[in-house]
Amino acid sequence: MIAIPLSHILILASTLFVIGFVGVITRKNTLFILMSLEVMLNAVGVAFIGAGSAWQQADGQVMFILILTLAAAEVALGLALLIQMQRRFKSLDIDLLSKLKG
Amino acid sequence: MTQLMLQCLLPILIIAFGIVLSLLLIAWRRSQTLILIFTLTIFSVALLASFSLFVNLASDIQVTTLVKVDSYGLFAFMLVLIASIAVSLLSSTWLIHTTEVHDEFFILLQLVVLGAGILVISDHYAALFLGFELLSISLVGLVGYSRDSEFSVETSFKYLVLSACASSFMLLGIAFIYSYSGTLSFTDEPEILTNISNSDSSVGNVFFYRVGFLLFMVGIAFKLSLAPFHLWTPDVYQGAPTPVTLLLATVSKIAMFIVLMKFWFSQAIFVETKSSDENILFLMSIFAIASMLIGNTLALKQQNIKRLLAYSSIAHMGYLLIVLMVISPHSVELAWQSALFYLTAYVLATIAIFMTLQLTQYNHHNTELDVNDWQGMFWQNRSLALLIIVAILSLAGIPLTMGFIGKFYLLNVAVKAQQWWLISVLIIGSGIGLVYYLRIIFVLFSTAIKANNVNEKNNPKELLPLPLTLTPAMNFSVVIIIILSVLLGIFPDLLANFLVKPY
Repeated sequence: MIAIPLSHILILASTLFVIGFVGVITRKNTLFILMSLEVMLNAVGVAFIGAGSAWQQADGQVMFILILTLAAAEVALGLALLIQMQRRFKSLDIDLLSKLKG
Repeated sequence: MTQLMLQCLLPILIIAFGIVLSLLLIAWRRSQTLILIFTLTIFSVALLASFSLFVNLASDIQVTTLVKVDSYGLFAFMLVLIASIAVSLLSSTWLIHTTEVHDEFFILLQLVVLGAGILVISDHYAALFLGFELLSISLVGLVGYSRDSEFSVETSFKYLVLSACASSFMLLGIAFIYSYSGTLSFTDEPEILTNISNSDSSVGNVFFYRVGFLLFMVGIAFKLSLAPFHLWTPDVYQGAPTPVTLLLATVSKIAMFIVLMKFWFSQAIFVETKSSDENILFLMSIFAIASMLIGNTLALKQQNIKRLLAYSSIAHMGYLLIVLMVISPHSVELAWQSALFYLTAYVLATIAIFMTLQLTQYNHHNTELDVNDWQGMFWQNRSLALLIIVAILSLAGIPLTMGFIGKFYLLNVAVKAQQWWLISVLIIGSGIGLVYYLRIIFVLFSTAIKANNVNEKNNPKELLPLPLTLTPAMNFSVVIIIILSVLLGIFPDLLANFLVKPY
């Protein structure tokens, strides 16, 4: 089996992370923003597992399980807010959330 | 795990146990006063426990690989607990005005405190991560707690997306640092130094370490609302309920700053002066300078008190960053003492201002309080006005208040590190700060513009704010805060000696 160099894994993770971040910035629909956040978090998971396997330690995988828990908690909050938003504005457009200014 | 270790974790364990008990309490009986009293008891017991631990601690104690209890962390946790006691007292006056259920508010509050407690004693990235997320996710719930407020969805969504982004940045940074060093602990020797014979040559690439360090800093800077990442702060401060804003301004800032210091000093950037490390120091001073200037200048034009405080907190975090600029390991102790002293002054002043804000909010029948709404308060309620004056002078750093001593500490650190640019910007920033701080004090004394307000607002209720009646408990805390800020400004030794590590 050919070992994949760690730097390749980290570059893959960074690419996924950037894709997710661009999604968070450019998307108008709040649901897609939440999905892009998930992409970012999972990219971090890839980086952790890659680093963990390169060091032959379990730490990376433990961190990934913690990250999965975080992602679940964040999505639960995000979806609750999404439902609130749909009820109040009848739309999921992020631009509606711009009342606070000063 | 020995008995000593359990003792060291006692304050955290009390809070964690309190959360479980509160859940049981809610299942048994839903009562607003009951849960308030219970939360206050839990916080006070934890405060007592951490105080006795702080006094008796003989050395830094490593409890498993995850946490390390030291006296600085314990002091910061005591500050956190004092701030959260203030938050729970204030929220009881806020919650009776809303239609929400109250019990969950206090559970979320305790979760925030638990997160902050884990952060201030963390010694491992996993502990840092757990504390960070407990803190931020519970804060999102608190920020949007009053569902009928028109801003609640917007505020909490903004805070959720931005803090999730910040934590992903921080986590990617941790992953990169781990890929270089092979350990998730702050203080362990990196395995790259002890175990070079690893077969995989791509492990331990310094480039990834630097990128990871940068990403980690970005994540922390988001939470501390340092200059390029400060955009969420005023909106969230304004949209959140006032007690929650106080929580954001004190507990979350203290915990994040302490963990930043732990991380920063453990990486020992100052020990070996490689060129890259100087770059990191340079980057931090850019953060600091930008925060001081942007925070102070943008605060100038704010009318809304909460937004003004948001910008002023950005500037204060900028000032605090100065303590990271140490160049020799000997100054680390001084840096910790300066940071803790400054944070104490900042927390006392912030609690004072938000307390007044919360108490005056309902007298004006609106929740969006402008600076002008405090007009002539001195003639109506002397003690409250005196409290604001002391707090604002302390934030501005006028002598005879705690804030002055705090700034003096910071200047001391900066002079020792020979950061002349930072010193000049600190002075300029404080100068700009005086403009908007003193404006608030002028407003407190003025009575002249009242005639204009009569024409603008035809609502007779708003013409004559109800005379403020403070409960004895509130009056007592007002007096205590005033005495503390002035006393520690005149005799800073009382606190400074306390901060010196006994070992």
